[in-house]
Amino acid sequence: MSEILLNSKVIVYLLSEGILYTLSLIGFLVAIYLLKKWDFSSFSELQFRLEEIAYLIVTLITFIFLAKVGLIFYFIFTIDALSLQVPGAMCAAGVISANSYGLTLLAIKLFIIFGLLLWIFINYLDLEAKNYPYFKLKMALFLVVFLFLTIELTLDFLYFLNIDTNRPVSCCSTLYGQLEGANPLPFGLDIKTLLILFYSLYFVTIFSLFFRQYIINLIATALFLYISYYSVVYFFGTYIYELPTHKCPFCMFAKEYYYIGYLLWGTLFLGAFLMLINSLIALFLKKDIKLSSFAQLLITLFVIISTLYVAIYYFKNGVFL
Amino acid sequence: MRNSLYFYYLTLNLFKDKKKLISTILISSIIIFLLSSIFFIQDSIKASLKSTIKNQPDFIIQKNRGGRQVDLPLDWIDKISQIYGVTSITPRVYGRYYFEDKKKWALIIGVDFLEDISNKELEKIFKDINLKEFIKGSNMIVGSEVYSYLKSHFYNKDYNFLSPNGEFIKVKIYKVLPKELALNYGNVIITSLDLAKKILGVDEDKISDIAINVANKDEWANIEDKLNALFYDILVVSKDDIKRAYDNIFNFKGGIFLSLFLITLTTFMLILYQRYSLVNLDEKKEIAILRSLGWSVKDILKFKLFESLISAIFAFLIGVLSAYIFVFIFNAPILKDIFLGDSNLKNSVIFIRVVDFSTIATIFILFIIPFIASILIPVWKIAISSPKEALK
Repeated sequence: MSEILLNSKVIVYLLSEGILYTLSLIGFLVAIYLLKKWDFSSFSELQFRLEEIAYLIVTLITFIFLAKVGLIFYFIFTIDALSLQVPGAMCAAGVISANSYGLTLLAIKLFIIFGLLLWIFINYLDLEAKNYPYFKLKMALFLVVFLFLTIELTLDFLYFLNIDTNRPVSCCSTLYGQLEGANPLPFGLDIKTLLILFYSLYFVTIFSLFFRQYIINLIATALFLYISYYSVVYFFGTYIYELPTHKCPFCMFAKEYYYIGYLLWGTLFLGAFLMLINSLIALFLKKDIKLSSFAQLLITLFVIISTLYVAIYYFKNGVFL
Repeated sequence: MRNSLYFYYLTLNLFKDKKKLISTILISSIIIFLLSSIFFIQDSIKASLKSTIKNQPDFIIQKNRGGRQVDLPLDWIDKISQIYGVTSITPRVYGRYYFEDKKKWALIIGVDFLEDISNKELEKIFKDINLKEFIKGSNMIVGSEVYSYLKSHFYNKDYNFLSPNGEFIKVKIYKVLPKELALNYGNVIITSLDLAKKILGVDEDKISDIAINVANKDEWANIEDKLNALFYDILVVSKDDIKRAYDNIFNFKGGIFLSLFLITLTTFMLILYQRYSLVNLDEKKEIAILRSLGWSVKDILKFKLFESLISAIFAFLIGVLSAYIFVFIFNAPILKDIFLGDSNLKNSVIFIRVVDFSTIATIFILFIIPFIASILIPVWKIAISSPKEALK
């Protein structure tokens, strides 16, 4: 048995994921039953019963969503703690790249949170409307999310079972930093254009909402999320660590940097997810769920925090890195 | 105002269902108490080991023949001192001394007081000792457990060691180490280097092993290579190796405990499920009244979940607090033997108070997710129960 599996945090994490999956499995079976029998125009006793049963899924998904948000932080925290056990790793970056499943797992986790969040808002609209206009849509969405939950659980176990504590892994500076002159940024960007893109995309996302240009907002938010990742890793991160060569998306979760990573990545992803959901619903369901100002606030907060790190460094030292 | 009325009703309800809640809270807090105690003990031991390891020498060099450690010649010291970057070299003599019944043993450590002491914790112990007087006679400093063993065998002031070549060596107890050091120095006897050699039967020109310090941590790997190149039968153990080994031991023990604990947790979930599935007529009536007052299924669900969440959090607080008192104030009787269980001299460790946020978070997740997961379905069932039937 792998030593990793005896780490209490890993046991707790895997157990929680297992329990949540069992709940979602129950939800899945119920959802299929509902989809088969659902007929809103019918006045049969069965239909009334089904409407009550539907509450089970609402409750289950709300709980799964809340738990998943907590668990993604716990997951990052766990792999950060595992860096003591895996040779060569100095932060979560090394541990997550200990095998090929890690990064896929993290991406799927984020996607699931997005899916569940979208589900919760569609459900909200569905219950508001009294005649369940989006019932089939939300159940179909849940089936998709369930598929990803299955993949996630498989990857969870594959990932933790395959961490080899005898084989050294790379640390973050080898993974992100020293690339021997190769440009790590997409589309051949350099830092200056990256930053210009970062700030201009930020303004586009904010203003496109004011003018209700949802298609532009969707594209801009998706791009902003993508560009933000690179900006934080290759530019803002260096100011958090106050070291021009330290490029890592994970070290900022550590205590040494006051756990700022949780706030920084948290505001970015939550803000961007809410904005995407807001625009998606406005575009396809023609409904306003009044999330835009909250999403704008979160994204603005993210931009302000990142910028402040640079500004404070400049005020303290009089130079940029 | 509406909000406060809602919470007023919630608390009223909580007091009304006292009997039902108390059983849930009781069983939950026992579960949490057990869990937290284990985690607290584990964390505390890890923390004190960490602080000990910090004071350990960076490398320990041993001579290894056929997988067995053997004494190494003194002249290795000269050779090692020529490696650039090595700041201090300490020859060490130590070994287990088995008392008369050949079952209990103490660790004898010989210290060369003329050299630098590479172990920073030992350095602290010697600070308030008159070294001249200590070296002159045959004296020893003993750990608290050794002392209580000797005292129970009526050796109050000195002890007659039997050396491997049959002589008796009378050694006076010079000082007893404080109880706080019991985890690492409980069963230790510290003497001067020459005396330790005599008691353990080590040759004059030999030592057990060598401890060295290296100033620059980045050079550790380099120094290790150089040492390995110097001698053929050398075994170099670094501080990191020791740290990892200890970490693994305690992760292993904690992990085994937790894996077994899963069985308890499953039972706990089943009990909760049963408890929440049993609905008496009163409760059904109450829900029917609420439904007829205009509450929707969603409202009732929310209300019921709120109610159980409050009892869960209450149980969590009770469990964690009582575990804190049990471990850090009463020193965790019985439970600590899982981690420290040893047939040797009795270990009476005082746990240092360490409570990590991550530990609390781990306990919380391990408790709250199974808790809510097992009550969700019964609570939903109550919420959708038909009001018509209840009011009949």
